[in-house]
Amino acid sequence: MVATGGVARAAASEAEGAPRATRKNKPAAKGASSAAPSMPAARLETLRLALVGADDAAAVEAAGALGESGTPSAAEPLCEVLAAGAAPDRLQAVLDALGKLGAAHALPADQTVLEALTLYSGHRAIDVRRRAVKALGAVNDPRATPPLLERLGDAVPEVRAAAAEALAARHESKASRRMFALLAMGDAGVAGPLATLATPDMIPRIAELTGTIDDAVIADALGDYVKRADVPDKLRVDVLRTLGNLSGAVATTALVEYIASVPAKEDRASKKEAQKLLDQRGTSQ
Amino acid sequence: MTAPAGRLSPPRASALALATLALVMSACATSPYQRAGNADDVAGAVARAHPPVATTRSLAFLVLGGASGPRLAEYDLAASRVVWTQPTDVTTRVEVGTTVIVHGDKGTTPNGEMVGRDLATGAALWRHAFPSAEHLYGYAIDGDTLFVVTRSSTTQSKQLGILAAYDGRTGVLRWQATLPSARVAGPAARGGLVAVPLESQYVLLFDGATGLELGQVLSTEEAATFVRALPEGMFYGSRGLFLLGRDTARGSRHAPGYLSAQLPAFVRPTYFYDLYHPEQSEYSALDRNRLLWRVVVDAGHPQFRDGLAFVHDYRFFFAFDAASAALRWAYVSPDDAVGSADTGRSILFVTASGEIGALDPITGARTYQAQLPGEVVRGASFDAEGFAPPAGAGASTPPDLLGALTAIIADPDQRFPALKLFAIEELGRQPGREVTAKLIEILRTEKTAPLALQKAGEMLVARRDAGALDLLTAALRAHADYCEKRSAPPVEVLARAIGALGPLGRAVAPDLDAHLRLPETSPAAAAEIARALVQIGAGESVPALRDFLTMYRADAVYERDPTALVAAAEALLKLGGSSDRQLLLFLAEEPHTAAGLRAHLSRALGETATAAKE
Repeated sequence: MVATGGVARAAASEAEGAPRATRKNKPAAKGASSAAPSMPAARLETLRLALVGADDAAAVEAAGALGESGTPSAAEPLCEVLAAGAAPDRLQAVLDALGKLGAAHALPADQTVLEALTLYSGHRAIDVRRRAVKALGAVNDPRATPPLLERLGDAVPEVRAAAAEALAARHESKASRRMFALLAMGDAGVAGPLATLATPDMIPRIAELTGTIDDAVIADALGDYVKRADVPDKLRVDVLRTLGNLSGAVATTALVEYIASVPAKEDRASKKEAQKLLDQRGTSQ
Repeated sequence: MTAPAGRLSPPRASALALATLALVMSACATSPYQRAGNADDVAGAVARAHPPVATTRSLAFLVLGGASGPRLAEYDLAASRVVWTQPTDVTTRVEVGTTVIVHGDKGTTPNGEMVGRDLATGAALWRHAFPSAEHLYGYAIDGDTLFVVTRSSTTQSKQLGILAAYDGRTGVLRWQATLPSARVAGPAARGGLVAVPLESQYVLLFDGATGLELGQVLSTEEAATFVRALPEGMFYGSRGLFLLGRDTARGSRHAPGYLSAQLPAFVRPTYFYDLYHPEQSEYSALDRNRLLWRVVVDAGHPQFRDGLAFVHDYRFFFAFDAASAALRWAYVSPDDAVGSADTGRSILFVTASGEIGALDPITGARTYQAQLPGEVVRGASFDAEGFAPPAGAGASTPPDLLGALTAIIADPDQRFPALKLFAIEELGRQPGREVTAKLIEILRTEKTAPLALQKAGEMLVARRDAGALDLLTAALRAHADYCEKRSAPPVEVLARAIGALGPLGRAVAPDLDAHLRLPETSPAAAAEIARALVQIGAGESVPALRDFLTMYRADAVYERDPTALVAAAEALLKLGGSSDRQLLLFLAEEPHTAAGLRAHLSRALGETATAAKE
């Protein structure tokens, strides 16, 4: 994962006074929904000017408006700010806006966006880095995966958790090995994402972590796993029994949440098992 | 002084006579040191001394503790066996005569006692308990004659320094002399000549047979804190050695008889115990941290034997070129050596756990090894002049210097920070890729002390090892990864080391660039990277520099200290082209850019404007 300086080159273009027309009214880029709403060019320009202006509050407000717009063309002025650099508050607002565009499937998967978000996923400020990771996760392009995998090794739990969530949302199975390594170190932030990616053969390994890390972390992972629709019910029963053997409120909550997640009319062996385990916990307490 | 049967003690009449003599002397208007520094007197005294008779003994006297209680043992090195063991709580060091040994013992009186023992059996021959008014300062044996220096309090305010000679086998007083001062130190004796330091700057010389004063040394340039008798001559000094003789009668460092070794900073350059401090005559930590030396004398000119001076530093032994302080060899013992001696042909030592060893002075190879199983050794003295171990008695190959230095550096023992710095410095001076690898490893070890890190970094940068560029690259590529439990590499130092290579280091530029984009790279490391990129001429690193500048130009951290931004801007100015100048101009004018960077850029862009146009 190495950006190529394209981000700063854009800033240089800005400094050189590159004609804005070249940046206007581009067709929606790859990755952005073709049905996404568009924004009038004048409004976009107004927000762009506010975004790069001297007034920090106005810039943050403009970033918010661009993020809420749900239009792919909003990404370009936001990326211009990243290319030119800004104070952390403004950067965070811009990255939040890009994240919102991503959540609305309106974030183009072009080189500029990828490079900018990749670069800022390595920023020293934790809040900047975490937001960049989140936005990067929403870019529908395989080139976003390596920097996300790298951030699984971040020193800060919040950043690791953001990377794990992004990778889980992208169903990046290759992330499961690193996520398991983190879980084995007791990293609670990866429990849920790992549950999303875990294959059946990984479940006994997670259960074997009992006694080496906090039971609540294991309960989190297994509780989320058991709710997955693709898990065979027979395996669910085994996982629920493991959950039943774990101590603490998180394991109890996982059993309750599992029962609640099963449609009332559905008659599953695992549901009965969960209820039985829950009753036993109540009795023993 | 009493025989075991309580035979003799210092005669009362003598004490009275001494007191009278002292009164007479104090009333005398003339200085007792009128002849101090008289070269003829000193030369005459030295000439009267006969060379000591060489022995073929190879004995170690071991002060033992542990579960079996305090004991003294005589160990025959040549035969590798304990000759005798006697129960006694030894305090001051064992001195060895022809047929007798003498040592201090805790005894039952406040000032302890002195014990004479038969060399062959260890049986006590006599004991002398020091009364509260009599303080032992030191003793020496010449043949079987014992010379003792004490300080006695005759009244509450009056103290006397006394030198007394005794028959070492019987404890009978032969003569005694009152010294001109009570500021006394322990004596040395050799071939019928007795030397006693006084007042820190004098050494008084006496005829061992009669007690007649023969001469006075005046040490004019450094304190005379010790006298030491060796087969090659009588020495005095403190931070250097004076071979007693005509040209050292006035203690000038310019005299041919003066000698001092060049030694590294971690060595305490004291050549013998400070004999003015009675506590230094006891077995203590001083025996574990000292200089070992012997000399050869050619026409009155002493030189360190084989040009070497040795340092015993607890578990470690070093040989240094006495002229240059260059390290010749290093030996690491697994356990603290509690006693050591340079016997001329061997460096002997005994460890706390009972290992008895000998090292070859030239190579550092272990030439002898024996073990006292289950013993705890508190101290050791040797009588093994010229001891040459029999072949195969635990001999080993000479120690690998690199291995020894590495062992010192990696040693978890926290007692030796200065020694570790020295070992790192010496390691850095050695040639070879493996040394560079070792320095990088030291830098990566989390437990390395800050000063050691600094020293290892300095050595890595200074060695400019272009042949180990791949090692530097590999170290840089091992990015921090929490998942892999890997901490960040020492980027700051690595960048400096690569920068020091100049254009030879250019291949590493992409790996330096990568660190400009990593969150764990500190501002200080970023600054070093930027400087290194300039040094290696990495024009291809311009994009990374641009990214770094734009990403952090408005960051609060760099507002406080823009050093890294300034370094990156300087690098971009030197390595980049016109579009990069325009970026810098934009940064200089944009109000959110850190004030320090803006100011620097305004100045730098102005200064280089003409050159840029050209």
